[in-house]
Amino acid sequence: MERMQSVHDLNRIREELRSRPRPDVEIRVCSTGCRALGALDVCRDLESEIAAQGLQGRVRVIRTGCLGLCAGAVAVSIQPGDIFYRGVAPSDVREIVEKTVVGGAVIERLCASGQNGPVANREEVSFFKHQMRRVLSNCGVIDPRSLEDAIAHGAYSALAKVLSGMSPDAVINEVIASGLRGRGGAGFPTGKKWQFCRSAPGHPKYVICNADEGDPGAFMDRALLEGDPHLVIEGMIIGAYAIGANSGVVYVRAEYPIAIEHTELALNQAREAGLLGRNILGSGFDFDIEIRKGAGAFVCGEETALIASVEGKRGMPRPRPPFPAVSGLYGKPTNINNVETWGNVPGIILNGAAAYASVGTAGSKGTKIFALAGKVSNTGLVEVPMGATLRQIVFDVGGGIPRGRKFKAAQMGGPSGGCVPAQFLDLPIDYDSVQKIGAIMGSGGLIVMDEATCMVDIARFFTDFVQKESCGKCVPCRIGTRRMLEILTRITNGQGELEDIDRLQRLGEMIKEASLCGLGQTAPNPVLSTIRYFRDEYVAHIVEKRCPANSCEALITTTCSSACPAHVNVPEYVALIAEGRISEALDVIRRRNPFPSVCGRACHHPCEKFCRRGDLDAPVAIRDLKRFASDHVKEIGHPPVWRGPRRGRVAVIGSGPAGLSAAYFLALMGREVKVFEALDVVGGVLAVGIPGYRLPRRALKRDIEYIRRAGVDIETNHPVRSLHELKEAGFDAVFVAVGAHKGLPLGVPGEDLRGVEDALSFLRRVARGKVKKLRGRVVVVGGGNAAVDSARTALRLGASSVTILYRRTRDEMPAIRDEIEDAIMEGVDMRFLVAPVAILGDGRVHAVRCAEMTLGDADESGRRRPVPTGKEVEVQADYVIVAIGQAPELDFASDDGTLVVSRGRMEAHPVTQRSGEGNVFAGGDVVTGPATIIEAIAAGQRAAQAIDVFLGGTGELPPEVPLASRAKPDESVAQIPRQPVEVVPADVRRGNFDEVLKAYSLQTACTEARRCLRCDLEKQETRRHV
Amino acid sequence: MSDEITLTIDGKTVTVPRGATIFEAARKLGIEIPHLCYKPELGLPPTSSCRLCVVEVEGAKSLVASCSHPVSPGMVVRTDTERLRNVRRMVIDLLLSNHPHDCLTCEKSGECDLQKYAYALGVRQPEFAGEPVMVQPIEDGPAIIYDPSKCILCGRCVEICHQVQVTGAIDYQGRGFNTRVTLPPGLPRDRSGCAECGNCVDVCPTGALSYAGAQGLGRAWEMKRVPTICPYCGCGCTVVLNIRDNRVVKITGAPGVGVNKGLLCVKGRFGMDWVGHGDRLTRPMLRRNGRLEPVSWEEALDYAARRLDEIRRESGPDAIGGLASAKCTNEENYVFQKFMRAVIGTNNVDHCARLCHASTVAGLAKAFGSGAMTNSIEDFDVTDCIFVIGSNTTECHPVIGAAIKRAATQRKVPLIVADPRSIELVEFAEVHLRQKGGTDVALINAMIHVIIEEGLEDAEFIARRTEGFEELKKAVAPYTPEMGEKITGVPAADIVKAARIYANAKAASIVYSMGITQHSHGTDNVLALANLAMVTGNVGKPGAGVNPLRGQNNVQGACDMGALPNLLPGYQSVTDDALRAKFEKAWGVTIPSRPGLTVVEMMNAAAEGRLRALYIMGENPMLSDPDIAHVEEGLRRLDLLIVQDIFMSETAQIAHVVLPAVGFAEKDGTFTNTERRVQRVRKGIEPPGEARPDWVITCDLARRLGREMSYHNEAAIQDEIASLTPIYGGITYDRLERGALQWPCPDRNHPGTPYLHKEKFTRGLGKFHAVEFVPSKELPDADYPFLLSTGRILQHFHTGTMSRRSSVLDRLVSVGAIEIHPTDANRLGVRDGERVRVKSRRGQIEIAARVTDRVAPGTVFLAFHYREAPANRLTIAALDPVAKIPEFKVCAVRIEPAR
Repeated sequence: MERMQSVHDLNRIREELRSRPRPDVEIRVCSTGCRALGALDVCRDLESEIAAQGLQGRVRVIRTGCLGLCAGAVAVSIQPGDIFYRGVAPSDVREIVEKTVVGGAVIERLCASGQNGPVANREEVSFFKHQMRRVLSNCGVIDPRSLEDAIAHGAYSALAKVLSGMSPDAVINEVIASGLRGRGGAGFPTGKKWQFCRSAPGHPKYVICNADEGDPGAFMDRALLEGDPHLVIEGMIIGAYAIGANSGVVYVRAEYPIAIEHTELALNQAREAGLLGRNILGSGFDFDIEIRKGAGAFVCGEETALIASVEGKRGMPRPRPPFPAVSGLYGKPTNINNVETWGNVPGIILNGAAAYASVGTAGSKGTKIFALAGKVSNTGLVEVPMGATLRQIVFDVGGGIPRGRKFKAAQMGGPSGGCVPAQFLDLPIDYDSVQKIGAIMGSGGLIVMDEATCMVDIARFFTDFVQKESCGKCVPCRIGTRRMLEILTRITNGQGELEDIDRLQRLGEMIKEASLCGLGQTAPNPVLSTIRYFRDEYVAHIVEKRCPANSCEALITTTCSSACPAHVNVPEYVALIAEGRISEALDVIRRRNPFPSVCGRACHHPCEKFCRRGDLDAPVAIRDLKRFASDHVKEIGHPPVWRGPRRGRVAVIGSGPAGLSAAYFLALMGREVKVFEALDVVGGVLAVGIPGYRLPRRALKRDIEYIRRAGVDIETNHPVRSLHELKEAGFDAVFVAVGAHKGLPLGVPGEDLRGVEDALSFLRRVARGKVKKLRGRVVVVGGGNAAVDSARTALRLGASSVTILYRRTRDEMPAIRDEIEDAIMEGVDMRFLVAPVAILGDGRVHAVRCAEMTLGDADESGRRRPVPTGKEVEVQADYVIVAIGQAPELDFASDDGTLVVSRGRMEAHPVTQRSGEGNVFAGGDVVTGPATIIEAIAAGQRAAQAIDVFLGGTGELPPEVPLASRAKPDESVAQIPRQPVEVVPADVRRGNFDEVLKAYSLQTACTEARRCLRCDLEKQETRRHV
Repeated sequence: MSDEITLTIDGKTVTVPRGATIFEAARKLGIEIPHLCYKPELGLPPTSSCRLCVVEVEGAKSLVASCSHPVSPGMVVRTDTERLRNVRRMVIDLLLSNHPHDCLTCEKSGECDLQKYAYALGVRQPEFAGEPVMVQPIEDGPAIIYDPSKCILCGRCVEICHQVQVTGAIDYQGRGFNTRVTLPPGLPRDRSGCAECGNCVDVCPTGALSYAGAQGLGRAWEMKRVPTICPYCGCGCTVVLNIRDNRVVKITGAPGVGVNKGLLCVKGRFGMDWVGHGDRLTRPMLRRNGRLEPVSWEEALDYAARRLDEIRRESGPDAIGGLASAKCTNEENYVFQKFMRAVIGTNNVDHCARLCHASTVAGLAKAFGSGAMTNSIEDFDVTDCIFVIGSNTTECHPVIGAAIKRAATQRKVPLIVADPRSIELVEFAEVHLRQKGGTDVALINAMIHVIIEEGLEDAEFIARRTEGFEELKKAVAPYTPEMGEKITGVPAADIVKAARIYANAKAASIVYSMGITQHSHGTDNVLALANLAMVTGNVGKPGAGVNPLRGQNNVQGACDMGALPNLLPGYQSVTDDALRAKFEKAWGVTIPSRPGLTVVEMMNAAAEGRLRALYIMGENPMLSDPDIAHVEEGLRRLDLLIVQDIFMSETAQIAHVVLPAVGFAEKDGTFTNTERRVQRVRKGIEPPGEARPDWVITCDLARRLGREMSYHNEAAIQDEIASLTPIYGGITYDRLERGALQWPCPDRNHPGTPYLHKEKFTRGLGKFHAVEFVPSKELPDADYPFLLSTGRILQHFHTGTMSRRSSVLDRLVSVGAIEIHPTDANRLGVRDGERVRVKSRRGQIEIAARVTDRVAPGTVFLAFHYREAPANRLTIAALDPVAKIPEFKVCAVRIEPAR
């Protein structure tokens, strides 16, 4: 390009560039971030295909910077039409040229998916729709290697404005008025910083662009330098002009070769064009920039360390004051801003401070770029207004959490930041709000964490990072972070003690308070914030030696087995099924869970949520395999019965999953066990709560029979009135497992009307055969499993319509996902965001009056709180089933002062299930409130172990003997898709109580079982190596 | 803005200058804030890394490090709260969690700062015990042991190495918990750039760095500590003798004390183990039947006195000569010259100053009226330009070398280095003038030519304070830069550049040493430098001056004391009747008015038989003097050679009488350093065997020769000196106890003189001397094609009598080597380390070659410390006509491989 001598030259050239004829079609391919996934191959193939089709000149392939959606690499956008394709491979090139470029048609396969199918237009893609791309406006649009492209898209217009008559003070005032705060992390007002440097005595002055982006998972600065380097350079020139600096440095980490290359190129172009160097645009202002490469020290992001590094010294921070604005590079006044901050400057100057500040919150103006990473669907680079909520970023832009897992927290601000738990999902994010909750904005790294992320381990990871990256200068940071790491490692290894939490907090506070630089002062944030919000997880690691996220290697066997509360050896039995050794597989299950038939059907299978295969395609169908095993083996079989004399008498109250599990294991350990059941049927909630179409009675009976064979004596129709009577009867220990059978009332007028019933009582009556038919309109209130079970049961009893009323939305429903799906398919109507305020009727119910709700801010769990809109609506009803929760009935306990009861439930130790100091143990729903079958089984298992120990035994469960092959699966198993289970069609099944799901055949079961990746073998291997 | 700031610390109000730190303000109030990394006494900048000195400042978001945080008006500071104690306890806890708890056997126990604060803060057991640093102590040399497991990374050693010593040999390595202070990885200490000054050891607050030689020899509370003055070079550093059981266990610096402010060099710190060496002379000896045999003091002294008396009676007093010693105290030199003059009756007294700075004394006396360093070492902190010529300062005067490097790096003072060799200072120089050996006059004249040509001279100064400028102007007129280039080989542009830098500085200091003086035209060299200084007005003000660096610890004092054949104490001419009369009256004798013989003249006279007896106190001409063969010839012809020394030197070996004297650690007295600073030498230990102080021996001899010379103690000698020597007139031991004094110090109330010629030159007006370039006496030719230059290296000193008996120094550098340029080595077929034969017209030696481009092609360099390869077998005894100094710096040699 010719050397421009004046602003006029620049404007003229811009006009010339803009008036050049444009190609018919422009194909923009992200060639920076997507390069690793073959973007350059795509470009090359596109060009050759275009040439082959004779379309040169009419079609232009632009190698752009990052388009943003890294999860969709290689990302491509096509003009006209702004068509956005994701996941483009060279094999798609021909089709793209033929169909889209030539034919103008959209290839749906390559489109992003929306709620109603594929979305072609980029602006309509959810990921882009919720963003506000100001700083990134040219990133992914222009060719970052072309100054012409940049100028045509407005580059250096702001510089032209500055050089056309703005005084340095006017520039600074504009930046101050805009409210721009430093995007590097601390959020210091940029204009003020410039002013300090401008007014500091000393010459020469320097400006520095900090591109030493070192946070794990952060790539904002990198993308900006790669995708629009002239924007940053323009910002620096304007800043230098305002401050009175004549030289500048871009300090960029050497690990960013493309950023370095593009910046270098841009600097050369700008220099040649008269935009940089001596006498910029004829203004008389001299300013030049050089690049310095950082050697990858995280601490060099700290400004005094960065300056030392630029000076050729070891990058170590020094105490401030003096601040760099007074004494910086070579002891001269120096202004340092990070890449994104500089990138904001041209927009402020060009459009004015007011326009800039029209976006954002009171204290934080403009937009912020985040690097969205971790357990989120749309990982990538996003720019949103200050004040956007985490929910908007993670769910609207980010597309939520994959694999149906729950959002747990987001790590903001990298290792210096803190974790933001779900309860703050709706907090408007800006510098001040984030700081208040113990995190920092940081440079914009945002790592999303789900249920499978262990917060202790995350804290350990970041602490490991900072302790390695500490410059080693000051004691708190160098040694303190190491000691924190040691404590955290101890905890994740299951060797922690409760005092360790206090130690971490004290050490963390001290490190924050006493460290020399920002690195140390923020290093403990991840630990302190996880302790603040996830203390339970620390306690679980320490007390229960359990990692709730099933992630800490030392505390888990395999993720599936560890996710199973009863710790069934999943890989073992799945492997045995793959080998066709079904009966042995069933034995393996029963070593830890006496309810294979029940759990094969009705378990919420947390094992599958954590199955590693799920990261590849879909988890192994563990539950269905269990069902298969329990169905396939016709004989009920015999447990390894205790041969010796039985010692120690244990009473179990309640024959639900908790009670019977405890009884089963105690019997196997040689205790004399007697189960007291108040009803005339055995099984508790399994018998009278779960409808037959989910859990046929015969399946339950098989499991109960097996338990009996272990030597368990069950007495029905024997309600226990008081614990005292059991002690009198000579029992050495008691296990209370009465469940939670008392339906909670709505607490609204009209609940006593006829036709209003709680779900448990309704289901129990149906199970006992007391209800055969149901006519009319049934309304079910609630969103849990009891609600869905009631609704589907009502449908099967002949209700003309069944409507579920739920105060939140489907996303927040606690019921098992598949059950909701099935209910809808069977015809259950669901109405969301309504909460009953009264049940109307005249003796008998005829309608429910509901308040319309809307979702407000997140509650503790991260779910948004329903808040009334003020509007009300009536729903006609002949029956109302209330399914909003259950509580235990603790009447029997009223006379016993030794029991510990709190908030309507019994309290018990999480590991021993012991309640108080005596010989009473408790577990299942009576302790937890309504929970899951497998958790109740696990509680029974733990109680059995603890009771055995209490009675002088070892508490050892039946030994597990490895039987299955130790051969690792070959690569071919990766190709096997998850085997579907046959389902009875909705219109057939809704008419009866027959089981909805069919079992696998032997062949499909073996095939499915072969999909297991056998993580257990890896684990054994690493153990050997250790 | 007020320059004073008032603030409140712990409820007390204090006012300090703007820019002061909270720490300094607290100190002013007598509040000592705990600190581990900070060490202001040694001039270390605060690094704020230990975080022990954090304090609470009202209104501040977090705690601030008091060592670096500046005060501000109205600041309210608390230095000792429970919150702070908790933080400090935890700092100590963390440090201890990473530290071996072996205080029971640690060398540092008792003076360990970590131990001190652990005790003060009551940290008994570290709560956060974790993985310690598991690194074995590193013993990579004879001097220093580094135990990284005890390192608390306070950074003092790194700071002192980079900022104060300006060597930069050690630095941090690695990150996080694994950060270590190390030498450059992979380089052994002796090739790492480490100068082994050991200043890092002194500043180490723990036992991480310790003295290899002092292991197991005693700890802080067992030591007697005696501050005294280093016996090596002329810097005059204060050293602290750490003594246990009459043994000097180690030498430490006294932080902030002395001209060295606590810094030391490798010799001063590690080179003192000769003190207790088994070779020390412990009994007098007499030569009987050709062999030296131990005898009693009576016998030895009687014999010496009898022979002296006989020879004097036979051949007159001038047949007897005496060599005083630049290593001995002022008192001893005074007594010695008095002995020669008053007892023997001759002016034949001289000493080795003749061999180093005679030309300085002569030249500066002519130009200024006084032959000493005009300014002070401290002036390097205020000067605006330093011109180092003919001085390898960092090796020969390491502590001054460090001061020059500090000025160049920290204050960015432009440094000009003129030296035929690429010495260390060249790295720090703006311009290196690499002149050919012996061409200094041409170089300096060319610089003066440029200054006058460009109108950069200080006309006002010239007019008001000098004379002879016109002659100078005329003399330098032909010395254009081009002419200068032709003679010196220095590019004309560099000469111009150097001249401009020097002339444009507000205060420019000239530093020189033996590269200027040891020439047959050494006096001219000195005069040329005096011209340069005066023409730019750089005399008589702080930071300026002409600063000859004296080579020996007390060479200045020995000159001051009149151990010179033509001068009585205090540079009072022996030919001046009035002055001589003063001494005659005081001593009660007649003093000959004719100046005596100089060192080399005495050797000549001895060889010719004119001189029959020589009394040598602590000198070793058999190694130190030029053309040794000739020296030996003279000494062997003597009828009586009395050598009084601490070791059986090469000279003592051929003596008739050998008298055991005491070393510096065993006696009291004063030394006068290069900047005219008179400092107290203090006795630390008892001497070995029967050794006696030199002055006592000399007085005993005098008594036997019939003259009572008796002094109660050293202070009494000093009082006599003061009474007869105006420049020492105000110096007494009482005053010296309170601090050293720089002469002239004419009376008891005079504070001493940091720089000379303030308003007026000693001689009145400064005198320009027109000097012309004269080639050296013996230049390379076809037969002897190499120019040999001699000098010192860092690790050794003079004839090695002391330094080569230091096991540490000897292990650092055990053999000598001749530096030779790679091109020459290549041509000769000599590889690095191979032995070569070096021949001159006077003798030959064999020595290893060190192939290095420190020397220019065609020149070779050799240190004269090695008795097994004595450089002075080669050197020429060509003398400067005025100063009679020999031309050690230039002679011609031939080199051949010694296969």
